Amino acid sequence: MINSAIRTVILLFSLSVLLGCEGAPLPPEVMQAEHREHDLWKADAEIYAPEEYKQYKLALRNGKDLLAKESSRFVWFRDYEPIRTEFVRILSQGSKTLQEIEKQKQIKSHSVADQIAFFQKRISTIRGLSSLINEGRVSCSSLTKAELLLSELRLLNQRGKFADAEEKLKSLPKYTSKAIEAISPILNRYADDTRIRKWRDMVNDTVNQSKERGIHSIVVSKVDRKLTLYHNGTPRKTYEIGIGTNGSKDKLYAGDRATPEGKYYITKKMQRSRYYKALLINYPNDDDRRQFASAKKKGLIPKYVGIGGLIEIHGGGKYGMTYGCITMENSQIDELFSMVDVGTPVTIVGTAEYDNNISSAIKRL
Amino acid sequence: MKARTTVKLLVVALALSVFLLGCAKKPEQEINNTKAALDSAIQEGAEKYAKEEAKLLNDDLAAAQDEVKKQDEKFFKNYDKAKEMLASVQAKADSLKAEIPARKEKAKTDAQAALDAAKTAVADANALLAKAPKGKGTMADIEALKADAAGLDESIKEAETLMTSEEYFAAADKANGIKDKAAEVSSQISAALEKVKGKKK
Repeated sequence: MINSAIRTVILLFSLSVLLGCEGAPLPPEVMQAEHREHDLWKADAEIYAPEEYKQYKLALRNGKDLLAKESSRFVWFRDYEPIRTEFVRILSQGSKTLQEIEKQKQIKSHSVADQIAFFQKRISTIRGLSSLINEGRVSCSSLTKAELLLSELRLLNQRGKFADAEEKLKSLPKYTSKAIEAISPILNRYADDTRIRKWRDMVNDTVNQSKERGIHSIVVSKVDRKLTLYHNGTPRKTYEIGIGTNGSKDKLYAGDRATPEGKYYITKKMQRSRYYKALLINYPNDDDRRQFASAKKKGLIPKYVGIGGLIEIHGGGKYGMTYGCITMENSQIDELFSMVDVGTPVTIVGTAEYDNNISSAIKRL
Repeated sequence: MKARTTVKLLVVALALSVFLLGCAKKPEQEINNTKAALDSAIQEGAEKYAKEEAKLLNDDLAAAQDEVKKQDEKFFKNYDKAKEMLASVQAKADSLKAEIPARKEKAKTDAQAALDAAKTAVADANALLAKAPKGKGTMADIEALKADAAGLDESIKEAETLMTSEEYFAAADKANGIKDKAAEVSSQISAALEKVKGKKK
């Protein structure tokens, strides 16, 4: 009897070992939780939710340990229900983290896109300003690099590589600042109220002179690229002009390619000139000479360089760049030539407006 | 007689147990070999050129180790499945490692092609600039465009540096950006030249 019982137990044990080891199937949530871990990894959880991702992996690890323990139990005693419950909890934790990551990514994507738009606008403004003062050659190299960086940033944003994009964004201000730095000494002249007040006074004097003496007078505004002919204190005609390569600066010495600022007058009318017709002005005047002497004394200009001269209003086309002269269309110099005389006052200023193109653009930078 | 039968059965059960326990040698060597294969694939550049595959192999290795752990907990241990899993991971890691040089080479070739195209585009822009008028007219624009081209030239050098440091994907992105910008500069130069031609008529 005992032998029979022992035999039965051994047989059942052997059969269960050989045939019954499979037991109940694993809860599907186990596999799902593993897939969720992969989803989290793909979603860059290490970057956007490092702590939550760590917690998830830890929970998954613990869950798997529990599963291993349960699986090691004798087939008849295995109960996967608590395991399933635990993995449901892990899955829910993972879903929550995944949602949080997506939310964060959306925020990052908008933030990167906003910054791209901000810098694009900034670059356009700097380009516009550079073009306005003919100084593209000193700023465009940096601006091009900034634009190239922007195109790389757009790619990274499209690919969802927001962390890389944010890292790259850090180097953008370097290029825009370099471009601003290159043009700001010139730009700031047009936002300096004291200087503008002085220019306004010069323009007012010239216009009053035209009114009081009933004569023609010329006012050139460099920032507007405009030459206005006054008669009896009233503007009669305005022409578009070009100025020197460094025309937005005040002329200081020969070869600086800047256009002088000050009160001048026509000293000679040249029917024939290299650039069609020309009106020679009395640059350098006394103020120019004083300025030149002072700059030379301070060592601001090369030792053997002269003050320069032969500044004209001439034909040849309204587009810059000259060596410092004011250039206009041939048909227009014809018209102007016929209306002015030797002795006609010519006042050249940066601007007469406090709120000019440059000062308003500087505010947007 | 009955006692002899019982003894026989006990011997069979014992033999069966010994058989089952006999398979239970923990696959330490296999784990080490698989880890080494995976490390070797990663060193070859798997995380850069086959990031997802490398991650999946890491997961598979972890799953194999879980299986080992599962068996560790059992009275009757059977590491066969774990060994199979480890062998599979090792084979995949070896295969991935073998694939990396080709992928790297492709990335390099693609980046070099992008860089060459960018260089050509920049050279075209510079050639157009060389034709630009030297006097007045559109000189302000031309001078600015020359500075743009200088920026492109410098960026080409940056892309070349990325190539040297084997950052092929970054180099290709930069080169593609340079090419597009160079094309933009070329069209601006052409527009400026047209403006001059128009004026001369």
